Amino acid sequence: MSPTLFWIFAAITLGFGAATLINRNPVASALSLAVSFLGLAALFTSLSATFIGIVQVLVYAGAVMVLFLFIIMLLDLKAEQRRQVRLSALIGGVVIAGLFASQVVLVLRHFPKGNHEFPPLSLPHPDAVNIGLTLFGHYNLPFQVIGVLILVASIGVVVLSKRELN
Amino acid sequence: MNPLSLDLAVLALGLVLVFLEAFNDGKEKAFLGWIATAGIGVIFALSFLVSPQEIVATQLVPFYTADPLAIFFKRFALGTTLIVLIIAIEFRPILSHYLPASVRNGGVAEFFALPVFTCLGLMWMASAVDFIMIFVSLELVTISFYVLVAYMRRNNPSLEAGTKYLILSALSTGFFVYGITWIFGVTGKTNLGAVGQAILSLPVENQTALLFGLALLLVGLGFKIAAVPFQLWVPDVYQGAPTPITAFLSVGSKAAGFVLLIRILDPFIKAPATSGKVQLVLVALALLSLVYGNLTAMPQLNLKRLLAYSSIAHAGYLLMALASFQNGHFKQTTVSFYLAGYLLMTLLAFLVMVVVNRVAGGDSIAHFNGLGQRAPWLAFGLTVAMLSLAGIPFTAGFMGKFFVFADAVEAHQWLLVVVGIVTVGAGFYYYLKVVRAMYWNPAKNNEPIQAGRLTQVTVGVLVFLIVALGVYPQPVLDLLK
Repeated sequence: MSPTLFWIFAAITLGFGAATLINRNPVASALSLAVSFLGLAALFTSLSATFIGIVQVLVYAGAVMVLFLFIIMLLDLKAEQRRQVRLSALIGGVVIAGLFASQVVLVLRHFPKGNHEFPPLSLPHPDAVNIGLTLFGHYNLPFQVIGVLILVASIGVVVLSKRELN
Repeated sequence: MNPLSLDLAVLALGLVLVFLEAFNDGKEKAFLGWIATAGIGVIFALSFLVSPQEIVATQLVPFYTADPLAIFFKRFALGTTLIVLIIAIEFRPILSHYLPASVRNGGVAEFFALPVFTCLGLMWMASAVDFIMIFVSLELVTISFYVLVAYMRRNNPSLEAGTKYLILSALSTGFFVYGITWIFGVTGKTNLGAVGQAILSLPVENQTALLFGLALLLVGLGFKIAAVPFQLWVPDVYQGAPTPITAFLSVGSKAAGFVLLIRILDPFIKAPATSGKVQLVLVALALLSLVYGNLTAMPQLNLKRLLAYSSIAHAGYLLMALASFQNGHFKQTTVSFYLAGYLLMTLLAFLVMVVVNRVAGGDSIAHFNGLGQRAPWLAFGLTVAMLSLAGIPFTAGFMGKFFVFADAVEAHQWLLVVVGIVTVGAGFYYYLKVVRAMYWNPAKNNEPIQAGRLTQVTVGVLVFLIVALGVYPQPVLDLLK
């Protein structure tokens, strides 16, 4: 992919990610997150990870975002907009985030700059087949553990949200 | 017997409980607590037929180990869950009071099924030797705890504790995952053995990034073991959560955190480039936890909160044992023995607390006034637990602290030894405060307190084990060979 496209998509991802935090209106915030996900999907696709790119759009920008919006619709939007930002909390947040970011920058400075041209990947199977083989082959045990995890999570949702337990 | 069959047996038990719940719609389901307890008890007994083995199944090799440490902590998880379920049976009347149930004891079944899954997660975590396996089993444990902590839906402190635990735990998980990605980025591996190999031949310019990843991992794990400065969640969550779950959190979650610390830090203390830095961080965490935990425990008037701060202090002693590693080897036996003693005394204290809470209606130390007359057996049990937590000779707590201090002296960690001894002295004050309330302060009413038969037997067994390990610790040490 041309570097220009990379910079454009990276800017979209980061810019809308920041907008998610800055926007006071929750709906605008959620929609910014969706656009940020789209930029991320484009970056994945450009790295020859087409499948992950598509899943990113379908699952995150699609399903998860709809869920987000549903939750937001149930909230009182006005209350959120009226809420005052406490100055101390704001300063504290900025200082901590700044410290963390500067630490990451300091660490990254130690790396040599990457100027390589990477050749396109040549894989034995199409993208999705590869993921399937890895997931159900090599990573089978963690995959099964996630199955149990999701069972527990769904039991938890029922227990905590059902109106009357019997 | 194959060690993996233990995990599968626990999984099967959990599924059976869930199905029994589902197919007994609208009926009395309190009996599930007994089935869960019996099932875990049987699997715990069976675990002594399992012997450590290097390779369980070839396709699992990169993820799963069944070395002596893993087997020890599988038994540890099963033993903890067994006693937690017994506490949960005793706790059931309080629990149903806070549930929006349409039938008698409605909604209590999952309270017995979910700890079984938590136990499964703890057992997998004990065996995990790959960051991906570690992460998914850690999440299994954490997610079941989210539900269990907030379980008493009509009790505001429980909901508050659940929310706090969810948010702070998710944050710490974020740090943990970010740390994993840095280490993967530098080494290109997720298997801990392979990471260890890669560290030894790592170019110097990548070491900063490696240490940064390690620091992030330590933030995540510091949260799990409740070490200072990652302890902010502990008091409120411990106090608000249902008491059996508080017990589970303080023992199970902490033990799992320490297994992970031993496993994850092992490659780093073997590499000369990182070993000194790891030691420095461990010493700092240990000192902070010792001082903060013991000092803040002193003014507490609520026993649950007191035990929360004391659990921070105990994390300090355990970290002290970790910090005293020598020649690239952790003192695994010391940590494991200390945790085994900690299991017995903490769970004993929580067991007595639940019975008293049910009758007297609260957990503050004042509710224990006159317990010596109202329930001599329970008061005796709680006394033994408190003496052991404080570290009086002839208890498991003393023996554990003895090993910790012996290791620290051997490793010439003098600062830790001095601070440790001073804080042990501080511990006497607040643990014995509870004993004083039970025997010297008069109760408001002198009605005897009745505990279930199973509870009384469990108190006896735990007291016996605490004293037995305090006199003759060898059986537990042998388990790790």
